[in-house]
Amino acid sequence: MARVKPKRHPVVVDMTAMCDVAWLLLTFFILTTQFKKPDVEQIKPPSSISEKLLPDASLMTIDATPDGKFYFTPVENGTERMQVLDNMAQKYNLTFTDQEKVAFTKVQAVGVPMSQLKSFLNLPDEERKAYKSPTGIPMDSTKKELVDWVQQSLAVNPDYKLAIKGDVTTKYPRVKALFEGLRDIDFLKFWLITSQEVGGNPE
Amino acid sequence: MAEVQVQEKGEKGGKVRSKKQSTRVDMTPMVDLGFLLITFFMFTTTFSKPNVMDLGLPAKPKENQKSPDTEIKLSNSISLLLGKDNRIFWHQQDNTSLTDATLNETTFDREGIRNVIKQAKANAADVTKFTVIIKPTDDAVYKNFVDILDEMAITKSEMYGVTDPKTWELAVYYKKVGGAAAPAATN
Repeated sequence: MARVKPKRHPVVVDMTAMCDVAWLLLTFFILTTQFKKPDVEQIKPPSSISEKLLPDASLMTIDATPDGKFYFTPVENGTERMQVLDNMAQKYNLTFTDQEKVAFTKVQAVGVPMSQLKSFLNLPDEERKAYKSPTGIPMDSTKKELVDWVQQSLAVNPDYKLAIKGDVTTKYPRVKALFEGLRDIDFLKFWLITSQEVGGNPE
Repeated sequence: MAEVQVQEKGEKGGKVRSKKQSTRVDMTPMVDLGFLLITFFMFTTTFSKPNVMDLGLPAKPKENQKSPDTEIKLSNSISLLLGKDNRIFWHQQDNTSLTDATLNETTFDREGIRNVIKQAKANAADVTKFTVIIKPTDDAVYKNFVDILDEMAITKSEMYGVTDPKTWELAVYYKKVGGAAAPAATN
């Protein structure tokens, strides 16, 4: 019998396929990642034991700052945003130019009363991003613009969900005013954004 | 980064043979990098989402609709008053019997309010109908409200309601808050 020669097996594994998969996944994650947009004002949500994550949905957000101002973030979708703005304009007898409408699709959050919305939308991009309203959206027993925003958004699409992000130190009466306003329009289910409970209080 | 392994074995001057050249590129570092980035993006995607808690409000009673009978036995319920400076008070009294002495103060931590609720639940006549009535005063902050909803989840008290404090409760509360010099847990 012939002597079996030890064959020199190459130990190099072909990595091409693995590399392909890795970069494919990478591309997927890069495209799906949404980086957190900078907040208009610093809001520190209270902690809770809830482990439910904010679901993916057409989401509008109401921010309640420590000094009781309200900001409203309409849904992301640009065309639906325009419809919301149209509805609001109709309700408040205002007209917006196309330019202002385009600006509205890009805003991070609305924090001005309807009367000032026009001038807010006419600010240059950079200024608008940094603009902090001294009043926020009015929300009291006489002027319920914030609730109108929610209502007009729901008129565009009743499937919108609402998340409320309040600060640790937001006064309860402000939150109560908002809740009462939402009850008035029969919008009863929404989410409160909280942060994960960290240490110190193990369950 | 990639290393091209070229093995040149040709001798100079000899017959020019087609060189057997390995075109294999070492992909290992590239794969490493790819997976590193994947890990990064995976973690940032999941962790950028904030936590949420559900909140459902009761519908407002319609004009022509009589509000349902919400009579709750005192022994089967507990009222929590959220006060200023993160203070919390509780009682199981009605408007005639509530006094300074029967409005108890406790704390938001696990030894405080959680035990109070558990005890009240254990002493309840009908545990299935045990109701917690949350009454945030105007001095409370949003955090107190979320904290107490959290406690509801922890103590599994599914029956709870949020309402405004009554005037007789507020009277005792202000007497207590205004009078007490130092917040002392009197549990």
